Amino acid sequence: MISQPIRRRTILGALAALSFAGRRAFGFGDSARFIPAVAQHSGRWDVRLSGLRRLAWELQRRTSVEVVPDARPFPVSSPKLFEYPFLYMGGDGEFPPLSGAEIENLRRYLTFGGFMLADANDGSAGSGFDKSFRREVARLFPRNPLTEVPSNHVVYKTYFMLDSAPGRLLNKPQLEACNFGKRATLMYSQNDLAGAWSRDEGGDFEFEVSPGGEPQRELAFRIGINVCMYALCLDYKDDAVHLPLILNKRR
Amino acid sequence: MNSAPFNAWKLVSLSPLSPWALASLLALVGVGVALAVLGLRREPALQRRMVLWALRLGAGLAAAFFLLEPGIRNLQVARVKNRIAVLVDRSASMAFPAEPGGVSRSTQVAEYLDSVQMDLAALQDRFTIEYYGFDPELAPVTTELLRKQAPRGNKTDLLSALRSVKAGEQGSASKKLSGVLLFSDGADNVELSSGVAGKARSTLEELQVPVTTFLVGREGLKDLAVEQVKVDDFAFVRNSMVVEVEIRGRGFKGQTIPVVLRREGQTVASKSVTLKSDDDLQWLSFSVSPDQTGRFVYTVSVPIYPDEAVTENNSRSFALKVIRDRVRVLLVVGRPSWDERFLRALLRADANVDLVSFYILRTMSDEPQVRSDRELSLIPFPMDEIFDTKLDTFDVVIFQNFGYTDPQLSVSQYEKNLERYVYNGGGFAMIGGDHAFGEGRSNFPVLGQALPVEPAGRTASLDTFKPRLTPEGLRHPVTSFSQGASNSESAWTALPGIPGANITRVKPGATVLLDHPFQSVDGRNAPVLALWEYGRGRSLALTVDSSWYWAFAAHAGGSPSRHYDRFWGNALRWLVRDPDLTTLTVTADPPSVEPGRPVGVIVAARTPDYQPAVDAQVKVDLFSVKLQRPVGTQTGVTGADGVVRLEFPPPEPGAYKLFGSARKGDRGLGESEDAVAVRAVGPELSDASVRADILESIARFTGGRAHRISIGTFPEVPLLDPPVVEVGRSKDEPLWDRWYYLIILVALLGTEWLLRRRFGYI
Repeated sequence: MISQPIRRRTILGALAALSFAGRRAFGFGDSARFIPAVAQHSGRWDVRLSGLRRLAWELQRRTSVEVVPDARPFPVSSPKLFEYPFLYMGGDGEFPPLSGAEIENLRRYLTFGGFMLADANDGSAGSGFDKSFRREVARLFPRNPLTEVPSNHVVYKTYFMLDSAPGRLLNKPQLEACNFGKRATLMYSQNDLAGAWSRDEGGDFEFEVSPGGEPQRELAFRIGINVCMYALCLDYKDDAVHLPLILNKRR
Repeated sequence: MNSAPFNAWKLVSLSPLSPWALASLLALVGVGVALAVLGLRREPALQRRMVLWALRLGAGLAAAFFLLEPGIRNLQVARVKNRIAVLVDRSASMAFPAEPGGVSRSTQVAEYLDSVQMDLAALQDRFTIEYYGFDPELAPVTTELLRKQAPRGNKTDLLSALRSVKAGEQGSASKKLSGVLLFSDGADNVELSSGVAGKARSTLEELQVPVTTFLVGREGLKDLAVEQVKVDDFAFVRNSMVVEVEIRGRGFKGQTIPVVLRREGQTVASKSVTLKSDDDLQWLSFSVSPDQTGRFVYTVSVPIYPDEAVTENNSRSFALKVIRDRVRVLLVVGRPSWDERFLRALLRADANVDLVSFYILRTMSDEPQVRSDRELSLIPFPMDEIFDTKLDTFDVVIFQNFGYTDPQLSVSQYEKNLERYVYNGGGFAMIGGDHAFGEGRSNFPVLGQALPVEPAGRTASLDTFKPRLTPEGLRHPVTSFSQGASNSESAWTALPGIPGANITRVKPGATVLLDHPFQSVDGRNAPVLALWEYGRGRSLALTVDSSWYWAFAAHAGGSPSRHYDRFWGNALRWLVRDPDLTTLTVTADPPSVEPGRPVGVIVAARTPDYQPAVDAQVKVDLFSVKLQRPVGTQTGVTGADGVVRLEFPPPEPGAYKLFGSARKGDRGLGESEDAVAVRAVGPELSDASVRADILESIARFTGGRAHRISIGTFPEVPLLDPPVVEVGRSKDEPLWDRWYYLIILVALLGTEWLLRRRFGYI
């Protein structure tokens, strides 16, 4: 069984447990935990917040990472971003160009160690969010264009062994990334990853996943966890000590 | 007054006229003769014409004679003797016996020169014979000195000696060199060591002086020598290095010789070589892996056999500096976090760091929701390997928020290994978090002994705070970001606050560099960054789990900050005892000393804030590894740059350690050590062979002859013999002022006049 359906009560209970978890038990306040920040742009930026919450919950449940499930939205120009090295930028439809200050702040954020997961919640290609986002990436990193993340990239083995990055959709099997040297500072999915993670207030998954159905949803969670692990551990799974075992599992 | 008779003369012009006036007058005489020829060209009678021409020509010559005023210049001359230089090799190899059991080569030269004294004396009517020894500087020598004073030159440089003696004829007062008699064993170890060719040959040919060589000594001496040791100046700790050794054996055909490599008395490796001929050269190599950093004296040696011509060359020492390759860091992480992420990025970006890391990505309570572990990229935590078999291969171990009580993740059974690892010289850092410093998880009761802090029994403080730089931290290299203490303090103040810290108690003897401004334990501010030396190792405790704020949040203001990088870089360097972070350095100068030379040592002292320690009292002991006791002590005072150079009188050959300490006033400035090798033999004594081939080549390319020394026999010696004349005094005697010369001139002119009248020309 790949993924067992989770009862609504279980989710709510777990979330409550997380929120009430003693500060002593989980490090020194929030700084030690994984908390996704969300980029507030001028478009529809907040359509998948429940998906991020669910991903954080899965990260907590499946790995040793400690999380705070509620994402923290910040304007792209906010200096507070620098307390949250993981930034999610999603959107449904086009959004206006970022201001100069926002571009500058985001560039500095990504240059000095921040990581951004961008997600086309509208599953667009060449229009909508995709068009606007690619425009902003060209402004951010004129010399570092988005390139496809090859299937042997460490992001596909940071925790789960994967070979593609499906979301609610499967428009493009692979992620795209902007690289600073060997580090991918920005990863982009056109498959609406967070759409596969989202739950409604009743605790049911918000969207159908196609074309793979529930198994694809599980893969979407896994790639989401792998991306978070990549942000946290970088190329740890490329260390020589891991290679024999990983190669063996790839066979 | 010089009463010596004139012994030479020459014809000169005594005319007081200037050359141009004389030339003008002679030209007029010529014109007069020419006019006479022209005037007589119509004379039909040949006889008359010839007579008149002859008379005019004779008169012209007579006139020229009077104009030139010829005279005899009487001269007193002396024949200058050319030089013959007798050059005697005074290098140390001339102290070897000329033949087994015989006198030294140097003494044999003295005996030979005495035996051919008559032959040399016979040359002295034409030549001045000068005797020089060269070591390689030229110095006058006598046969008595050759016998009494052992040769000590540390090299044989035949070409340099020949150049010097040739250069002696420069200058007008010097005498020309007619030849050189060169007495040597030919064992050149400078320009001609590999034979006479190329530039060396040109140099010999350009001397233009025949050099006659006399080979001293005999081939076939029995000798075993560590002739050469090839090794890099430094090696990397725990990396194999190769020591290549050249063993030369003469008279050891078929024998197997054991060769031993020792480090300061302890055998490191041994091998054996079999010598295949009576003059054989064998190479062998040792591959060793130094396990400690520092400078050490290694010695390669072969046994001493009876009847060896030289025993000092049976061992050869060298000093080797062992340095770190890359700092090998083991990073063990309790769980992924931003603190881990930024430290990993920093360590991975540092070319000087070889990072091995293990993260706990999944605990026993985590549910990855997989059917098979093959769906996960996780590997078992190889505790045996990293905390037992491979632990000593790391320079630094970092526990980052690591501490589990789960049996599968607990390292309790390896705590003793880790504690011993630190005690025996390793570096250890523990970084805080909810798994560290007793925060409800493993307390590391054994490993904790190596830490400079201990749990205070209180829960962590969650208040955001800015760590405060202590007075010790102001000057300490780990927390000092710049030369001035105030700059460091302002740099730390500018860093963003840290959200929370473990509350610990500092142990006696530990140094606190950063402390908590609000939290206190036992009346003291709780330590945030503390360190100390534990046994031979060092450990450091950082009681926060958000030092990544210094790396990332510090950029929120827009100005890039490198303080996080510098802090961790400094911490690693301190943990591995980077020599640049010690306050006292002792450096042998040079690290290998030739026999008979003093041992130099440079001591650089710095104050705790890493400024040059001016006027510091320095003391250095020269400690003999063989005798296991100091054999000398030197003291000194540092100068304005905090540096002083001391020198020990030449000690016996062997391996020595230099232990230095410094004080300024009542305060110690630290201790340091280095090693120095005092070699038993220099290059000169490492080879007892004679090189007839070199001497033969010298003779051939200079036009000389090559001979072997043979008592009482003075062979043919080619010598240049250009007579050189020198003017002493002179006296002029006029020839022109005789009366009969005037009569002749008048008679010639009168006869011509009479005949012209008679022939109708006047």
